[in-house]
Order: sequence, then C-alpha cells, then structure tokens
Amino acid sequence: MTNLHLTEDDLVLHYYGELDTASENHAATHLSGCDECHRAYAQLQRVLAAVESVPAPALSDGFERTVWARLEPALPAGRGWLRWLVFSPANLAWVSAILVLIAGAFYAGRVTRPAASVSGSPIASSEQIREGVLLVDLGEHLDRSQTMLVELVSAEPDDATAHVAIERARAGELVAANRLYRQAATQTGDVAVSELLDELERLLVELSASPDQLPTEDMERVKQRIAAKDLLFKVRVVSSGVRERQKQHSLTRTGAGQSS
Amino acid sequence: MQQTDAAAVALARDGDSEAFRALVERHSRAVYRLAYRMTGSAQDAEDVVQETFLKAYRQLTRFESRANFSTWLHRIAVNCSIDLIRGRPHRETGHGDADLEQFGATVESSDASGTSPERLMLSTEVQQRIGDAMTGLSRMERAAFMLRHFEGRSIDEISQSLGLKTNATKHSIFRAVRKMRAALEPFVADA
Repeated sequence: MTNLHLTEDDLVLHYYGELDTASENHAATHLSGCDECHRAYAQLQRVLAAVESVPAPALSDGFERTVWARLEPALPAGRGWLRWLVFSPANLAWVSAILVLIAGAFYAGRVTRPAASVSGSPIASSEQIREGVLLVDLGEHLDRSQTMLVELVSAEPDDATAHVAIERARAGELVAANRLYRQAATQTGDVAVSELLDELERLLVELSASPDQLPTEDMERVKQRIAAKDLLFKVRVVSSGVRERQKQHSLTRTGAGQSS
Repeated sequence: MQQTDAAAVALARDGDSEAFRALVERHSRAVYRLAYRMTGSAQDAEDVVQETFLKAYRQLTRFESRANFSTWLHRIAVNCSIDLIRGRPHRETGHGDADLEQFGATVESSDASGTSPERLMLSTEVQQRIGDAMTGLSRMERAAFMLRHFEGRSIDEISQSLGLKTNATKHSIFRAVRKMRAALEPFVADA
C-alpha cells in the first residue's frame, strides 16, 4: 500500500498538518522515497507560497477619515439618537429588534398582495401596523435624503460653503440610519432598495467626512457624482414606491378591518 | 509624539473619543484588508470594519492592557467576518470545475517560460491571477481557505466557526486550492 501515490488532497492536508499521526507518517515516508509525489508536493508548496502575495485592495488616501465618519455617529461620544443605543445589552437588543422589524417591512412589502391579508386575524393586524410604521420611517428617511440632495444640487457656488456645513451635519445624522435600512434591504434581497441605499451611503459618508471648507471644484464633483448616478432621480423613484406601499398597506388594513 | 495603542486604549476607555479615533486611523486599513480577504467584497469589508470597531469599542473594558491591541482587534475582525458570511444566504457563486479547467488553460496559454519563478512571483500579473482566482471562489471556499491558510485555524475550528461538517470544510479547502493551482501553476512551475 505504501507504493500508492499520495492524492492531491493528501498533499494539501499534509501541507497544513491536518493528517492524523499514522497518515502523516505514511505521507512523510512516501514523500522521501517517491520523486513524483515529491515534485507534486514541491509544486503545491510553491503555489501556496505565491498565494501569500494576494493583492490588497487599493484604498483612497482619506480611507481612515471615511471610516471614522461612518463610525463616529454610532459611538456613545457621537451625537444623535444612536448615542444611547449602542452601549448596553438592552439598547443593543432594541437595535436588533429594529433591524428585524425593518427586514420584516421590506419582506412584507415584497410579498404581500392586497387581497392576501383579509383574514383580519389579530396577528396579521399587528404585523401590518408594524410594517406601516416602518414604511413611514423609511419614507421619511428617503424624503430627508432627497431634500439634502436637492439642496446640494441647487447650491450656487457662492453659497457652497454654507451649504456644505449644513449638509455635512445632515449627512452625519442620516448615515447611521441609512446603514440599518441598507442592511435590512440586503438581508431580504430587496436589490433595488439595497443598491440605492448603498450609493446613497457612500455619498453620505463622503459628505460627513468632508472638511468645513469644501473647495468649489470638490463641490462640483459632488454635484456631478449625484448627477452621474442619477441619485436624485433614483431616490425619488424608490421614495415613490415606498409611498405606494404605504397606500397599499393602508388600503389592506382598512379592508381587513371592514371584513373582520 | 504618537501615543502607544495601550495608552490610546486607556484614554478611550475613559470616554476620550479622539483616542479611539487614533486607534481607528491606525488600524482600519489592516482590518479592511483582512475583511476583504475573508469576504471578497468591498461593501462587506466596509461593514466588517464598522462592526469590528463598534464591537471593540463596546468591549474595551475587557481588553487586557498587556495584550497586543492589533492582535485582539484582528480576532474580532475575523469573527465579524465569519458572522457576516454565516448571516448571508448561502450562494455558491464560485466557478465550477469546467470553469476551472478553462481558467487554467487560459493561464497556460500565456507565455511564462524563460523567466524565473522568483521574479514572476512579484509580478503584477501573478497578483492579477491570484485576484482572479480569489474571485472565482465561492463564499464558503474563500472563508474556509482564508481561515486555514492565513489565520492558521484547524479544519475542526473552521467547521465550527462556519457551521459546516468537517468533510464539507475539507472539500471547500480542496476546491480552493485546486483553483489556486489552476491559476498559478504555470507561473511557479519548476524551471
């Protein structure tokens, strides 16, 4: 049996020291006496050594600043409603619950049909109420984002500095909530909403990390980015979709209430 | 003068957000690189960076000052990456064996002869090949391979972390290695 060549998988396990003692002894003995396996093993070693030089992704110069801008609102030293959320188990549980609720709202928005919820059972009602509240929250988030985008796009060069200071603060407030909505949309497979919120988040993070005095050309670059990605248009479309869901939801609830 | 990690941690524990910011700025690139290696996605890596530092901030009181902060942070980042990978729907997006053969053939067709392997190891083309091969790994293949190859975790540990059976973990690693071989063998062949 010792004359049988080692398999490719045996060589991998040997390389990582994952063979049991008996197999390990066998592999070592075989490798020392078999040129073919020895060559194959040497080749594997070279390949795995080359993997060590796996390329690192290129990061922008301002990467650290961007990370901090994204992180800071979520820390207790930050401002806004997240300040008290993050630091105790109870608060964390609250965040988790919100995530689940948001995910539920996205999911419900994707799968419910008006006629499907006429059962009027108490459980369905509470789900519907919860979904309605969360659709309102998401709608408000998109409205606030839309307002910010409109003001950025329409800012005159002379007002740019004042606008940036205002929008920077606003972006900082929006970024944490945006992230929660994006994660929920991703988890529920709502690709369109998830992609939009991802694009929006990148802009929010960049804005909240920007200096107080944004040069005119940088401001123009922000405007061009919004225009190039049709961000404002997309926010309007999704916002409109959310409003539609809210309407459907209201009608469904009304129907359910009347039939029960 | 730059404060040490231990000094920054001590200040951050007392609520000094600037001290924590210094830690974030010092370590965020390394955390991102690790997260990207584990997840293969820029967006996921950004999320892992965020979760890692949030978790580190919440657990600062548990950090022992004698320990190495970057090692501690690295461990948190690996766990956050695993949590994210496990939390996502299991989709095998990697290339199949047919793709693997085709990929290997494409690589072989490029002329790598006549150049020393040591020199080629450093070439951007090899790096490109590694990057392509990594992209061809499924989420689980990638995670299992990274944990085994770069993090030195045993197959049993990886199985527990990723919620896989031992054999499934082994086969994820075997497939990952096969893909790496297909991509890199022409470049590292014995001259």
